[in-house]
Amino acid sequence: MNKEKVIFSFFMILALTLNFGFYIGEVDNPDHHNVYELFAVIVVNLIATILKFGDRSQMGAMLLATSLVAVVQLITASFVWAYVIHIQGTGLTPTAMATIVALSGGAMLANIISVVLLVIETATLRH
Amino acid sequence: MPVVTSLILRQMRMPFIVLIMGYSITIIGMTLTPGVDEQGNIWHMSIFDAFYFVSFTATTIGFGEIPYPLSPAQRMWALVTIYVTVISWFYALGKILSLFQDPTFKQELVKNTFHKNLRNIHEPFILICGFGETGNALARTLTERRIRAVIIEQDNEKIRTLAIQQYPVFVPGMKGDARNPEHLLQAGLQNKHCSGVIAVTASDETNLKIAITSKLLNQQIPVVCRSELKDFEENMFSFGTNYVINPFETFASTFGMALHSPSLHLLYDWLTGVPDTDLSNPVYAHEGHWVICGFGRFGSGLFEHLRQYNIQVTIIDPSEELRNEFLSKSENKGCDFILGTGYDAHTLQVAGIDNAVGIVSGTDNDSNNLSIIMTACELNSKLFVVARQNKKDNERLFLATKANLIMQPSDIIARKIRTLLTTPLMLDFLSKATNQDQEWANIAISRLSGVIGNSRPNTWTVTVNKNETKALHEVLKYGRTIRIGNILQNSLSREVKLNAVPLMLKREHKIILMPTDDVAIKLGDEILICGTEDSKNNMNWTLNDIHSINYIMTYEDIPDSYIMRKLHSYLKRNERRKTPRKQLLYKNKHNN
Repeated sequence: MNKEKVIFSFFMILALTLNFGFYIGEVDNPDHHNVYELFAVIVVNLIATILKFGDRSQMGAMLLATSLVAVVQLITASFVWAYVIHIQGTGLTPTAMATIVALSGGAMLANIISVVLLVIETATLRH
Repeated sequence: MPVVTSLILRQMRMPFIVLIMGYSITIIGMTLTPGVDEQGNIWHMSIFDAFYFVSFTATTIGFGEIPYPLSPAQRMWALVTIYVTVISWFYALGKILSLFQDPTFKQELVKNTFHKNLRNIHEPFILICGFGETGNALARTLTERRIRAVIIEQDNEKIRTLAIQQYPVFVPGMKGDARNPEHLLQAGLQNKHCSGVIAVTASDETNLKIAITSKLLNQQIPVVCRSELKDFEENMFSFGTNYVINPFETFASTFGMALHSPSLHLLYDWLTGVPDTDLSNPVYAHEGHWVICGFGRFGSGLFEHLRQYNIQVTIIDPSEELRNEFLSKSENKGCDFILGTGYDAHTLQVAGIDNAVGIVSGTDNDSNNLSIIMTACELNSKLFVVARQNKKDNERLFLATKANLIMQPSDIIARKIRTLLTTPLMLDFLSKATNQDQEWANIAISRLSGVIGNSRPNTWTVTVNKNETKALHEVLKYGRTIRIGNILQNSLSREVKLNAVPLMLKREHKIILMPTDDVAIKLGDEILICGTEDSKNNMNWTLNDIHSINYIMTYEDIPDSYIMRKLHSYLKRNERRKTPRKQLLYKNKHNN
């Protein structure tokens, strides 16, 4: 058992599950999407990205890329959130919420790819 | 991804994770802790506010308690925030700093810079293995001729001195063991621009290994090796090393030249020395009795040359073994071998220093050599002194002894390789010249000194082909006759002759020494010319510029642009029409 792999897989899958949790629900209904959940997704995704820093293998590079995509999407989502509340002051209108959820949906897709890659890597390893 | 970046990122994983954890915990805590606003209502920081607060607190900027003064509960959490995040930052910064101090990392950084420099070379370069005195001298010569050089050297101290050398062109250097093929490859052995390898490390064994590696991994490029021992020399030649240079042998043959023909030796010294340095004076060795102190590689090499001219020689050496071996050889009859060191007056007197004409101080210890010279000169001030200088640092001391010939291995090797790399034709010339008599050399010397002034001349090769001599090639292709004398004319005023002397003309396998002005140049000729730097530049105009060559050949000036050319030919046609038929025929005849 490789400890590094366990830790990385843990964070990767946690990122995906949290992301899913945030994404699920009516797309424009603020009640269905918790801000803390978004916060947690960002933190976990950041950690998963950093864990791939300096990995010189092909798979490592791919995983770093997908995680970076997810992080970029999620940070944009959080930025939109902060913008509509603190700068624009309009609050979480259905449009704003839909934008945020859509961005997190994109991030989830990237996270799904990460997990698929992870599964492929593990599958090829175990033969 | 370069190794350096990956090293940094790998090392930074933990600090980053600690930072993110610290931030996220404190941010969440901040949003959960209740605060009180101005009206006394309970309020909670949003994630945005909390992130802002934690960010300026963590970086010790400290904007204060915003937007409202914090409640006691918030202050308590702010304390936690300060300690957790500030310490995380210290940890991260400390880690980065320690990474930059790490020797492995530093080494990797230096390597990275070297590879970047190597990648930026887009022209042929020469790989010099060993950055000692010879390597340094070679790098200087090459860069002065605008040839790029790359250096690999094992010694950290030496490679560091590379940074403070002022070469005309930047020379990248790598710390590495040239015996290791991996290191040679990193230094660019298989680089497509690598055009030669020079192995001039102090050890013959290393040089041998470099030659083998280069010949196996990159067969096309020439390899030049320094070797001081016969065995290694033969070994190097056995697998096709292009040139092996033995400083002792080279010096011995130069010494032979000085004995046999001082003018020839002078010519050799002028032509192979560093251009634009002061000219040396001829050395005259007299016939008579010679004393050789130290019968190692150096002494025995010179001994052979002295014996070729049947000169009486006495040898002084402390080794009994060498003495027995020496005396057992029948051809050495008539020569004395005295056991001793040579730096005491008594031994020298026994060897007959009082009546000798020359002394060779050839031990491998500079102090002993100096001592021998001083003692001997005290006993007999008219001696011709040949000194072996082992260390470059002692140059001043040897010059102060006023020895007639000083052998300095690194200088000899640098000189030979320089000639090899810059004017390979010179070696042909010198080997042909050695067979000429003293009178020929005298004439050559007087011709040279007539044009070059007081400093050593530049030598260059003119190869008649499309790339190197565009104009000359063009003109010859049209069947015009160009003679050596023509290219020696000043391209600015053709009545003036350039300060240059043609040394040799090579046509396929035929060699003409000192070709006269009326020798016609043919396509594919190689001409070795020596002269001043100005003449070289001036000659380049003649060789490469069609107007200059036309001017020299007294052909008329043909305009370059389309309109002027048309106008010119139109005017010319008119002129022809005006000229009576008879006169035209006469004119043509004379032109041809």
